[in-house]
Amino acid sequence: MRYIFVRFLLIIPTVFILITMVFVFMRMIGDPITAAQGGRLSAAQLDDMREAAGYNRPILVQYVEYLGQILRGDFGTTISDNRPVTEVLVTYGTATVELVFYGLIVAFLIGIPLGMIAAAKRDRWPDAGLRLFAILAYATPVFFLGLLLKLVFSVWLGILPTSGRASSRTRIELSRMEDATGIYLIDAIRAGDMGHVADVLQHAVLPATALGLLTAGVFLRLVRTNMIGTLAMDYIDTARSRGVSEYRLVRKHAYRPALIPIVTVIGMQTAMLLGGAVLTETTFEWRGLGFQLTHYLSARDFIAVQGIVALLAVIVAVTNFLVDIVVALIDPRVRY
Amino acid sequence: MSATTPPDSSTTTPAAVPGTASRRYSWRRLPVIRQLRQSVGVQRGMLITGLVIVGLMLAAALLAPLITPYGPSQLRGEDGLFGARQAPSAEHWLGTTAGGYDVFTRTIYGTQTALLVIIVAVAFSLFIGVALGLISGYYGGWVDRVLVVVADAIYAFPTLLLAIVTAIVISGGSSSLWGGIMATAVAITVVFVPQYFRVIRAETLRIKTEAYVEAARVIGTPTLRIMVRHVLRNATRSLPLLVTLNAAEAILTLAALGFLGFGIEPSAAAEWGYDLNRSVSDVSSGIWWTSLFPGAAIVLMVLGVTLVGESLQDLADPRLRTRRRTDSQAPQATASAPVSAGGAAAGVPKGTGPSEIGPSS
Amino acid sequence: MRHSTIPRRSRALTGTALAAALLISACGGEDGNGDEGGNGGEEGGGAGDILIGTTDVKVTIDPAGSYDNASFLIMNQVYPFLLNSQPGESDVEPDIAETAEFTGETEFTVTLKEGLTFANGNELTASDVKFSFDRQTDIMHENGPAYLLSNLESVETPDDHTVVFHLAEPDQTFPQVLSSPAAPIVDEEVFPADELLADDDIVAEQAFAGPYVIDDYSFNDIVTLSPNEAYEGLLGAPENDSVTIEYYSESSNLRMAVEQGDVDIAYRTLLATDVDDLREVDGLNVIDGPGGEIRYMVFNLAVMPYGTQTEEADAEAALAVRQAVADILDREEISEQAFLSSYTPLYSFVPEGLTGANQALMELYGDGSGGPDADRAAERLEEAGVETPVELHIEYGTDRYGEASADEYAMIRDQLNETGLFDVTIQSTEWTQFTEERTQDIYPAHQLGWFPDYSDADNYLSPFFHSENFLANHFSDEEIDAALIDQVTEEDPEEREAKIEELQYMVAEHLPTLPMQQGAQTAVTADYIDGVVLDGSFKFRFGSITAE
Repeated sequence: MRYIFVRFLLIIPTVFILITMVFVFMRMIGDPITAAQGGRLSAAQLDDMREAAGYNRPILVQYVEYLGQILRGDFGTTISDNRPVTEVLVTYGTATVELVFYGLIVAFLIGIPLGMIAAAKRDRWPDAGLRLFAILAYATPVFFLGLLLKLVFSVWLGILPTSGRASSRTRIELSRMEDATGIYLIDAIRAGDMGHVADVLQHAVLPATALGLLTAGVFLRLVRTNMIGTLAMDYIDTARSRGVSEYRLVRKHAYRPALIPIVTVIGMQTAMLLGGAVLTETTFEWRGLGFQLTHYLSARDFIAVQGIVALLAVIVAVTNFLVDIVVALIDPRVRY
Repeated sequence: MSATTPPDSSTTTPAAVPGTASRRYSWRRLPVIRQLRQSVGVQRGMLITGLVIVGLMLAAALLAPLITPYGPSQLRGEDGLFGARQAPSAEHWLGTTAGGYDVFTRTIYGTQTALLVIIVAVAFSLFIGVALGLISGYYGGWVDRVLVVVADAIYAFPTLLLAIVTAIVISGGSSSLWGGIMATAVAITVVFVPQYFRVIRAETLRIKTEAYVEAARVIGTPTLRIMVRHVLRNATRSLPLLVTLNAAEAILTLAALGFLGFGIEPSAAAEWGYDLNRSVSDVSSGIWWTSLFPGAAIVLMVLGVTLVGESLQDLADPRLRTRRRTDSQAPQATASAPVSAGGAAAGVPKGTGPSEIGPSS
Repeated sequence: MRHSTIPRRSRALTGTALAAALLISACGGEDGNGDEGGNGGEEGGGAGDILIGTTDVKVTIDPAGSYDNASFLIMNQVYPFLLNSQPGESDVEPDIAETAEFTGETEFTVTLKEGLTFANGNELTASDVKFSFDRQTDIMHENGPAYLLSNLESVETPDDHTVVFHLAEPDQTFPQVLSSPAAPIVDEEVFPADELLADDDIVAEQAFAGPYVIDDYSFNDIVTLSPNEAYEGLLGAPENDSVTIEYYSESSNLRMAVEQGDVDIAYRTLLATDVDDLREVDGLNVIDGPGGEIRYMVFNLAVMPYGTQTEEADAEAALAVRQAVADILDREEISEQAFLSSYTPLYSFVPEGLTGANQALMELYGDGSGGPDADRAAERLEEAGVETPVELHIEYGTDRYGEASADEYAMIRDQLNETGLFDVTIQSTEWTQFTEERTQDIYPAHQLGWFPDYSDADNYLSPFFHSENFLANHFSDEEIDAALIDQVTEEDPEEREAKIEELQYMVAEHLPTLPMQQGAQTAVTADYIDGVVLDGSFKFRFGSITAE
């Protein structure tokens, strides 16, 4: 219990450090006024506006003010498009969650069975081929894979849409729904129109594949490594000596224990995918947090960037916490 | 990790051979070469393939001016401008880009930039990460605690966001060659230092309780000397893997920065990510040659480096090493530890270990 | 392009029941490209529901908080202006005003029409007008256009229908300012005086008095407009039943949408390659209009070669260097390769389409007809005693002016270095850093672009060439200062036009900036769409659009 408590308290400095880093970094790289109007105002005019907006005050004063706001639960209103940050987080966060969810499904469907095959056929050609596949999945930048998929499936074959979360028609109708969840698949199903569901799924195929393959490679290697480890354990040997087939060994005996580390890695991967969704979202114009983050960053929208990073920091920190707890429960040797 | 690694018939890891026993140097004992000698079968194939790819890339980088017909920022030949988006032809084997450069030339020259970023990024991360890990592990105390928390926090930071921000802070958002390289290197360093830190710290924690270190301390050997001679030398066994991973991430991050528009200006250097960024709009017109080749170059380069790293990891982990003889009695001692390269022992069990960390994005 | 052969279904939606019509999901062909097999139904019925696709990202529809094309596009439809221009015109006339005229050198008086109301029923009086302008300057928002009103000293409302603007300096462009993004009239009973109002609240309160009102608003997804019956201004009642704007995130998608009939009109911004392809497609029309956008290069007179702060300061040599650059550059070649002719060569400071535009640089530099002339440049440099090759660094912004910027400047470098007279290096910098550094005497020469605040030639002159210009490039010339003030206070339009032309020749001699390219406005429409007018006002007015 004490470990869990201490570990929980550690979330606070983690989030705090990240928020502080972002705050300081953002103040180092220019302000939203210069970003928006630098191309047509003189330096003096810009300075007047900075003064009016309060950006000329000492950074420490601004920092304390910002922390105060956050503690009161007020994340502010974005500078570049005048929207409450909480609304931004919800709107784009759901889009990112949806993408990550699709990606994880693809990763599971591909990574885990293939990893099991690789472990069972260890050191033979299927294993070599699958490991090469895993390494290729890692070596291929998601944006390059995305471009290739687009080229083949959208431009040459013309069977899948190039980008976006849904065709505009679907998007419009879903945005008109009362109490929309923002997760298009759910909304489309609730709207009861199979056309919309199909549309949403069609749009999800390429981004989910690009993102999922990347993660599938990670899962594949993880399953393979752990299963090889498990297969070498005593009780498996015992089973083997009893004449249980290798296939059955993998399916029945080694499967469960080998999955435990995967559960923890899924946590890690989720956090990582959330944090690094920028490229997938940019490639496929999936309007999620990552896509918006680059946009707000180039507009130097302090408030928006800080809000998004704070959310990511909390998600990542909490996920790490959960992962650590799970690991601690599995492995009693781990203690602070 | 347990304090003693079980001895293994086909190899002797440095950790298992403390102190003076590892004095005898020979080229056969150099990392990579040693592993190459001990590998067999598929693993040997992987290692060799990886080494060949890396070798080819090195050759391309060194010989770029000889291989390529034009310069990386050349727009004009004897008959005037090359023209933009020209399909592959006798003059332009792989066509020309949206900006009117020769794709083949830029793809080959891109290896130079990639190698440069690897060297700089790895040097930075390795030096800082190892130093901090040694200090933290050796001295312990509040320095250790603070470093562990900070490392944890930084590890959670979205790499790419960090890279973008450092790109703006470090180079003032400018697209010069060194601006791009340094931005990538610093961002990669920030992300990888915690990983080197963890590995080295864990090893240091283990090694500092070994008898030979105690002995050195008793006879009054200076601390720095103990740290370098006795601890560091024996703490490096997971480093080759981490270095290859670090290198691969450096290439991918540079490419990602380029793709997001923070790339290196084409007159300063050839950079694959930048070229991919410019090819996005070509794709919808069915122009494939501007994206395919720089993209393939990234994949090949990362593939080569990762193949080397993967095989090294396999060879370092007795559970995964291909059994040379039918030796079903695989060692048990390490079986319960996750694949982590020291994570669990560092008290911060990430549960994954570096090789399971996908690209930063 | 693969999709060009897909049969186009009629896209016109039915009646005013747009929501119902949307259920049809009528769009595209059977290409599987994200089309939800619609349930057929009422297609091709009523006319006049227009669907416009754009990639521009809008900021906010609160006039005090945004100054960008996409936001202004909406504002133009839903807010009234005191002065506005009719489709096809760039000169302004009274919109919701009865009269508007100078009643003194620095006094501009506007009388409002009788009985004006907002769509929510609130009266629109002189007090709302005063409120709208005071609010701009009070809020002075980061993204706002407040500085356009910097010459406005105070606004007075002697009665409910009269507004008197007091200016600090005489300024004949003020009527244009009243049609600019700083000038939409908002409802004082709805908008707070000292902060922005959220878009959703503006829509909920129906604080609109322009030709349209917003029915449906989903941020950067979709905006639906329907005619505002309370509007009695210059633009008249809209000729269509509704206009829906859809926001696309990438131009390639927008291209596909207009090609497949998902949208009736694609407006801002299609790639040049895509527009080129679409010109060949049956069933589509490409509509071109003059563009107010210009691309130019700025020389910093202090740190450029032979600049005033360099060791070998020599004003004549520095001038010769600038003129030599003007001689050598081949704008046509750049326009064709880097921009696929989506930008066209610009030979003066005031772009074509505006009153007073000419081609001053064409006569003065190069081969006299717009082409390059390296020999002339060599001569010029030699006469001024300039050592060649001249080392020149040019900086450009990575993201602000389109990704073709890199190609444009690569070609500029190539053209200059090809002559052997220059040794040019180029580098790009991310926008915000770039624009911070451009005023710090770091760049000897750099890229910039300009989109006009309002449609007047002076907007291309005074901000750039007055001694206190925003470029901070150390250009200062008393004669030009005087000429700038002279034209901006000239009341006779013809006299003023002559003075503006004269002024361009004067500046062309000095070349503190070098005009490079001029943008065009382009819209791609389905062939059943009429009344799309892109003119020198740079406003796209939806009211004139009709569908068969």
